[in-house]
Formats: sequence, C-alpha cells, structure tokens
Amino acid sequence: MKNKRFAIVLDTRKCIDCKACTVACKAENNVPLGRDNYRNWVDEEELRGRYPNLGQSFSPSQCQHCGNPPCAHVCPTHATEVNDDGIVHVVAKKCIGCKYCQTACPYNARYYNEEIGAVDKCTFCAHRVYSGRLPACVETCPTKVRTFGDLNDPDSEVSRLLAKHPSRVLKKAQGTKPFLFYLI
Amino acid sequence: MSILKHRPSLPVWFALLGVGMIAGLFGVGSVLLHGHAEVYNVTREIPWGILIATYVFLVVSSTGLCLVSSLGHVFGLEHFEFIGKRAILLAILTLLCGFGTIAMELNHPIRMAIYAVISPNFTSAIWWMGTLYGIYLVLLCGEFFFLMKGMHKGAFAMGMLGFIAAVSAHSNLGAVFGLLESRPFWHGSFLPIYFIVSALASGGAIVSLIVYFHHKASGTPMPQRYTDFMGTLGKLQALFLTILIFFVIWKIIPGIYGHPPEKYEATMAVVNGPLAVNFWLFEVLIGMLIPVTLLLNRRTRTPMGVMWAGVLSTFGIYFMRYDLVIAGQLVSMREGAGDLVNGLLQYTPSLVEVAIVVGAISTCLFLYTLAEKILPLESD
Repeated sequence: MKNKRFAIVLDTRKCIDCKACTVACKAENNVPLGRDNYRNWVDEEELRGRYPNLGQSFSPSQCQHCGNPPCAHVCPTHATEVNDDGIVHVVAKKCIGCKYCQTACPYNARYYNEEIGAVDKCTFCAHRVYSGRLPACVETCPTKVRTFGDLNDPDSEVSRLLAKHPSRVLKKAQGTKPFLFYLI
Repeated sequence: MSILKHRPSLPVWFALLGVGMIAGLFGVGSVLLHGHAEVYNVTREIPWGILIATYVFLVVSSTGLCLVSSLGHVFGLEHFEFIGKRAILLAILTLLCGFGTIAMELNHPIRMAIYAVISPNFTSAIWWMGTLYGIYLVLLCGEFFFLMKGMHKGAFAMGMLGFIAAVSAHSNLGAVFGLLESRPFWHGSFLPIYFIVSALASGGAIVSLIVYFHHKASGTPMPQRYTDFMGTLGKLQALFLTILIFFVIWKIIPGIYGHPPEKYEATMAVVNGPLAVNFWLFEVLIGMLIPVTLLLNRRTRTPMGVMWAGVLSTFGIYFMRYDLVIAGQLVSMREGAGDLVNGLLQYTPSLVEVAIVVGAISTCLFLYTLAEKILPLESD
C-alpha cells in the first residue's frame, strides 16, 4: 500500500505469556507443526529478585519489518522483498533455501517452511491488513499488548502511543531500523 | 592382474572410496526421500551445518591448489611448474565436489540456477560467490586444457586470470560470513583476508600429498627434482602455517579481550566450550603445531615428513572450517530461543550429513585417482 508505513507498538507490561498470539498466527498463516516453525514468539525474560520478592517480564516479538533489512540485502535472488508500506515478505518461488537470510537476521525471525518450500516469516498478516483487518496476533491478544497501525498517519493509534510514551527498539546498534516499538 | 601384483594398495584404495561413495549415495537418497528437516540436524537457529563447512573446506582446497600451482606457471618459480596439471585438475575436482555439497544443503538448487540469472541481487555476497566461483571454474578448465595441450601462453593467460578469480572468489567467500553484522564472531574484514591465507596453507598441504602419493602409488623412487621440490614446498608450507598461526592467535585474542558481547561467548565456545577439543587437539596441535615442527626441523623435512605435515594440516584445516562455521552460530540471537546448554545453542551433525560429507570427499579422491590412471599428467 502506498503512503503508509506499518508498525506495531508493544506494551509488554501487559503480556501474560499466554501465547495466544503464536497460536493465532500459526492458525491464520498455516504455519506447520514442529520445533522450528513459528512466525512470532514470546520470550521469557530473566527472573528478577529473590524469593518471595520475585518478578518476571515477557517479551513477545516477530519480524521487525526493518527499514534497513539485512535479510533483503543478503538474499541472492531478491526472494525477500519490501513493500512500499514497509512489509518485508518472501516470494516463495524465488527462495533457493540457502538460509543466508536466517543467518543475517539478528532477531531469528525466519524459519524454513518445508510445506511451502521457502523461508517463511511474519508478514504483518498482509492478506488481512490489505482487506482492512488487523494482523491475527494483534486481534487475538487478550490484554492488548500489540497495537498495529500506520506511522505515516499522525492520528493513528501507533503514532499517538509513540508520541505519548518513550519507546525502544530491539538491537538498535545493528542499524536495522526496526518497526516494532516497545513502550518503556 | 598386473595392478594387483605390483600395487596391492590400489584395489583397497578404490574399495574404500567405493564404500565412501555408497555412503554418500545413501545420504543423498535419504535427503531426497525424506527432506532436509527430517534428516539434517540444522535448525532455525543454526541453519548452516557440516555441509557448509565441508563446502568451505573443499573450495578453500581448490583455491589453495590454484594459488600454489600459479607460483609455477604464472609467477615463474621453476620448482613449481611441474605440479601444474595435477594441481589444477584437483582444483577443478574439489570445486565441483564443493558445489555438490552445497547443492545438498540448498533446498532448491534448480531455482538458484534460474533466479540467480533472472533476479540477481548484486548486494548479496552469496550471489557474488556463485558468480565468481562459476567464472573461476571456467578459467580453471581453460587453464587445464591449455596445460594438457602444452600451450604455455594460453596456460599463462588463463592461469593469471584464474589467480585473480581465485583471490576474488575466495575472499568473497570470507565476505559471505564477514558481512553479517548480526554475527559478531564472523563480522568484519578479517575473514576475507584469513580465507586467502588459509587457502595457501591448504593448497600447499594438498600439493605435498599429490606429489608424494603419486610416486608411492607408481612404485617408482622419487627423482631428485621431486625430492628437491618437496624440500622447497616444506619450507614454504612452514611459512604458510606460521602465518596461519599468527592469524588464529589474532582471531582469538580480540574475541576474548574485554568480553565483547556475543563475540566473547562464541570465541569461548571454541577455546573452552563445545568446540574446544576440535580447536586445541585438531586445529592447533594436529593442524598447525605438529606440521610446523616437522617442517621447520631439517631432519624431518624429508619428502615423507612433508607428506605427513600435509596430511595432518589438511585434517586440522577441516576442523578449522567446521569450527568457524558452527561457532559463529552458537550464540543465540535472542534470549529464550532454542534449547540452550551452558548458554549456547547445540549442533551435532546427523548421520546423513556425515554420509554426504564422506561421499563428497570420496568422490573427489576417486575422480582424481581415476584421472591419474587415464590422463597424461606427467610434465616434461
């Protein structure tokens, strides 16, 4: 989509590690079963404190739809493409399965999908977004951790959240310019 | 019968290689029938395994053979001229077997042939790797043709171009790893340079094996000029290995000093972790220290000593490739990814992966031994 820049803003303080996002994503995008096969995930951060004063945070994530995506730079056949709206996706028929993108992605956001015969990853559920719906992970989250929207629209909820709250991106030093923002 | 009578080791050698090739066929058959996910132990986190390491080993050998042989017919060191045909032939075969190995690691080699041409990405080091090694292969074949025909001018021209292609292709292979900012253990300009240096050590070692075993197999005593050549090669190989030791030391120290994030963990995996036996025993002791000691000592720098140094360093260099490829991926890209043991991801090659490796190396040796029987490789 032209003149849009899609992004997700996450408020991880709301995450309860239910993994509904992962299940919804798998169901929506026909992600095969198996240890390696997932497009999004929830990482458990280190336990804080000592018993009985304990705390733990969870960090859901997925492809960062980077503004400077290393996966696209390294792909020998241009199988990884970036849409005008910033969505990074794989053209399955061009993927040779060299897995260079998997070694290049600093977020471990890619896996090889044996069923489609290509490397697979989050597409922000482009097929839903282009028909006016939200990505499956965003829609299903019971505590509304994720907010999806267009950063080019200053009135969108993602723009307003980022204006209102400080945020961070993952591995900023890599220079990948991620479009998943974590509220601090 | 005459073969059996005079060279009883030859049928045994072919039988061994036959077993290796059957193992390779079993591996290839398994992956074609069951798919990569079923029979390979590579994972989402460690997508490059022993097949990539073997590919690197084989193409490094090819580059090394080309570089060392170019000392003779390109740079005019007379001592090295007579190894040209054999070295270039083996460079072609190791390259082809390297291609075969990586084809088994790729999920869609046929797509590669199509889309690398109609949808090339010039910012991809792997695209350049395929293109440069393709050009290199053509030049090697041309060089071999001219050498066989005794056309020295053509061989010189092809050799010179081949030398440039070898250095370009091989330093670019270092860049395949070195351009990955996400992998601190690999990232930087070190690997392209290191790959060229280690190719020289690899090539020198294999040339010593070619010369020694050619005479051993034919059952003829080694003429004086070959004995002299082994002495010169031994000195040169001592130099290559010493430089390689220098490079290994300067790979390790910056990985440990100041505990640079992720690079430190990967370096410690090599020095004091799951790859430590590979590193200290195979890479350092067998691959470098023992060969260098054999080569620097005048009493052991005999043809047999140089051959043993070649065997040991080739063996050690294989582990060097494996450790380099695997160590770069052992550190998890994110907290909570994969099944960590002592903070590191795990990879052990599967039986099928090992079978393909054995098959590729056996095929390479089989084709070379066959060529020795069929082609007139002896130089004037």
